[in-house]
Amino acid sequence: MAISRRVFVKSGGLALFSLGLDPLFLARAALAVPPTAGPPDRRILVCLFQRGAVDGLNMIVPHGDPLYYRERPRIAVPESDVVDLDGHFGLHPRLAALKPWWENKSLAAIHAIGSPDSTRSHFDAQDYMESGTPGAKATPDGWLNRYCQHDREHQNTPFRAVAFGPQLPRILAGSAPSLAIDDLQAFGLRAPQPAARDRLTRAFEDLYAGSATGLLSTSSQEAFEAVQMLKQVTPGQYQPANGADYPRGRFGKAMMQIAHLIKADMGLQLAFADVTGWDTHVNQGSSEGQLAARLAELGQALGAFAQDLGERLRDVVVLTMSEFGRTVRENGNGGTDHGHATAMLVMGGPVNGGRMLGRWPGLDPADRFEGRDVAVTTDFRDLFAEILARHLGAKDLAAIFPGFAPDPARFPGAIKV
Amino acid sequence: MKTRTLAYVCGALAALAPVGARAQAPILTPRDSARHALNRLAYGPRPGEVDRVAADGVMRWIDRQLSPRKIDDGPLAARERRFKILDYDSGELARIYVDAQRERRKQQRRQGDADRDSVGAQHAGPLPQRMDSSQERGRRLAGAFQELAVVRAVLSERQLYEVMVDFWTNHFNVFLAKGADRFLTPSYIEHTIRPRALGKFADLLIATAESPAMLFYLDNWESVAPGSKSPQAMRLRARPLFGARPMFGARPLFGARPMFGGPPLFDPRRDPMRADSLRRQALERAPKGINENYARELLELHTLGVDGGYTQQDVIQVARILTGWSVARPQQGGDFEFHDWAHDYGEKVVIGVTFPAGHGRDEGVRLLKLLANHPATMHHVSRRLCQRFVNDDPPDGCVDDAVTAWKRSDGDIREVLRAIFRSPDFWASENVRAKIKTPLEFVVSAARAVGGDPDTTPRLAQVVARLGEPLYLHVAPDGYPEREDAWVNSGALLDRMNAAVVLAAGRLPGVTVSLDSVVPATPDAEQLIAQANGAVLSGTMSENTKAVIRRQISDISDPVQARALAVGLAIGGPEFQRR
Repeated sequence: MAISRRVFVKSGGLALFSLGLDPLFLARAALAVPPTAGPPDRRILVCLFQRGAVDGLNMIVPHGDPLYYRERPRIAVPESDVVDLDGHFGLHPRLAALKPWWENKSLAAIHAIGSPDSTRSHFDAQDYMESGTPGAKATPDGWLNRYCQHDREHQNTPFRAVAFGPQLPRILAGSAPSLAIDDLQAFGLRAPQPAARDRLTRAFEDLYAGSATGLLSTSSQEAFEAVQMLKQVTPGQYQPANGADYPRGRFGKAMMQIAHLIKADMGLQLAFADVTGWDTHVNQGSSEGQLAARLAELGQALGAFAQDLGERLRDVVVLTMSEFGRTVRENGNGGTDHGHATAMLVMGGPVNGGRMLGRWPGLDPADRFEGRDVAVTTDFRDLFAEILARHLGAKDLAAIFPGFAPDPARFPGAIKV
Repeated sequence: MKTRTLAYVCGALAALAPVGARAQAPILTPRDSARHALNRLAYGPRPGEVDRVAADGVMRWIDRQLSPRKIDDGPLAARERRFKILDYDSGELARIYVDAQRERRKQQRRQGDADRDSVGAQHAGPLPQRMDSSQERGRRLAGAFQELAVVRAVLSERQLYEVMVDFWTNHFNVFLAKGADRFLTPSYIEHTIRPRALGKFADLLIATAESPAMLFYLDNWESVAPGSKSPQAMRLRARPLFGARPMFGARPLFGARPMFGGPPLFDPRRDPMRADSLRRQALERAPKGINENYARELLELHTLGVDGGYTQQDVIQVARILTGWSVARPQQGGDFEFHDWAHDYGEKVVIGVTFPAGHGRDEGVRLLKLLANHPATMHHVSRRLCQRFVNDDPPDGCVDDAVTAWKRSDGDIREVLRAIFRSPDFWASENVRAKIKTPLEFVVSAARAVGGDPDTTPRLAQVVARLGEPLYLHVAPDGYPEREDAWVNSGALLDRMNAAVVLAAGRLPGVTVSLDSVVPATPDAEQLIAQANGAVLSGTMSENTKAVIRRQISDISDPVQARALAVGLAIGGPEFQRR
């Protein structure tokens, strides 16, 4: 089905071009996909940023490639430990919690994905991945925010776009309203007792309702509406469903609060959280060790999240991203240095799962980027654009990724059509 | 006395500002003008300041602010001496950070060993990382540096000067958390921006172009003419290979795998593969061509503006002219250095101007001078200044006035500002209270309103960060935005309300608040409201705000509590968000 659609776009596209039709119309026609999950206004995207550049080769292990073992005598994950996925690739053993989701086809992985820009600076590469404009530093807003700016149909809630953390990340920066919430429980006016808090909330609400003008007025209305909505949710008493067991720590808590907001039906459409600690220059370990501990937390949190959501996972896509990958060859300190392409995970009901996506360029030195790193065969914008278009129904992709011509023919096929 | 002052101010305004042609706004009262000037040229009034400036004459106050060196700032200088970071130069700061980094690596290595020892043990998460003293020291220094900016903004008598330092810090933005900028930024602010904040624009532009912080931030330090080789790379290339050439499939007899576990001490003879690999890495890492990042932002943000009439070709030509503008050992906090081996000596043409072949560093200076006084730059930078001081959408009139002054004064920033403050648009009633405070402006003006006195702990800077403006940490080169839609959103407003309540209650550690002298506690509700109105809002409190405060304090018997609530509501309310 996907193939016939592409054929239509290619052959039909030429005919339409000759009629002088807007090429954007073509993209729209091709992207207008009938909903397979819930209605579009219930679909949710959760973006997780692995800051520090995850070693994609030890996360999704190419255990079928002898070069992998040759280049990593100390840190390669032994074949006997790898949780095999398709005979060539497998999960790091500490991600074993995710295997059931692969089995039921709601988890896919993509390798050799990254930026067309060759920078190996965390700062620049994260910036490019969040602005969605590799190579262009002056882009003022992030691509998730630009999505909100351009698709305003279902946004009448302050909880449409929420980043879990103390500050709004670059990916959500911009003119469309979005929230940074460090802790759901602490959101709103703070006072020692609930009665004092309610009173303070009412007082400020009256102040702004009576005297605020312009943007101060509309934003304050949204704020108090959000506080009202959250009051009914009582984050302190949340019980994960289906025996889901979130890992302790910041990331596990963020995932639990995202699940909570989804189940509370507050209109959440985009959620974002950071997972840190991937910059493994020294002693990263193999089946056990530093990287393994980080992956264990990631895997446990993702598994718990999926389990907790149960039926609701039908409308949710979770996407992991990281600014770049790491060197194929281990370094002198039992770690890896900054590389180029990495691997990402896509998980959820709408995911075309149980498969490896993208084109694997191999580890042969001749096929590597600058002779040392996994080459990029999928521009990260192709995956992001596909998810926005086919999962969230985004229409104007060119406005979300300026300077990039999104083309459904290049979509890696992460979302069911 | 009062009438005489009024006559003086009106006279001053009439004489200095050609009122009538463009603005038909009603003449502001002396207090209105003083409040407006204190909200724009300063971080808001301190207790009693509106009256003092009004009595003295607002135009006279503005002229004094334009000559900051003549204003005594002794108390601030004494406070600055308590900030140890000002005692270190970039090299010393670099050593502190390198020590911290080494400590972190050592810790990771130890942790890695611990993990290896416990194979099979189940870790729920990463092992807790302890911060050692040098790491702690690095973090403390960064926090202190952010706090220093807030303390200066709160306490300085040279308010316009501090406002302009903030303006240029954003116009010529760098990012404190990018590698070497951790230790290059303090010197950038102290020695590049601050001495030139009210000088000639060309001098400031050249100083930023030569600053290690900017060269590192926008990568120009690695921009080299294609094919050029650094003396270091030549030396490396000349050295013989130690080990077997790492051919595909071939594995040397003695390779990178250590025999006794743990990384061995590095010795090129005993570990030839590693020596080769390090060498290869050094060669690979050596820059191979021009990097356009700085050139692009120089044209787009620092000078001509995005619609300034330049092309991608101009960006490339500018990058070629600036090849070789580099830093001597950035990781050690080194200084500006021109590398003639990296410079492109060919001919270039930028926006129609030819730069003949054969020139070195001098053509870069020529280019920067050309850009600094280009008409598009005058307009772009004047517009940004008017956006800061007049309105998010600045009227053409005040931009034109600023450009005229720029031409007349050869880009003297003081004269450009003077023209803006004398422009009728600056005083037009539709522009009064038209700006929303940035988080920095909100926190500093609140601290000033309640007579707050911050110490050297980073508390106030942390509040500014929590409200969305962590200082020196704006990633993109465009600096923190000037427009209200970037700052007003539901989460940010709630945060401001919370900060206001905490500050008014005197519960913000690190800031001494002397409410007793500003808003004395009193059981008389009307008196309390009047005092809070005068101190926080210089008499502009709306009837609705008064009514809400009256209602809220009606059943609070403790006058100190009532006062905290009244002041908290006034600071967190809508009127105080504007300036």
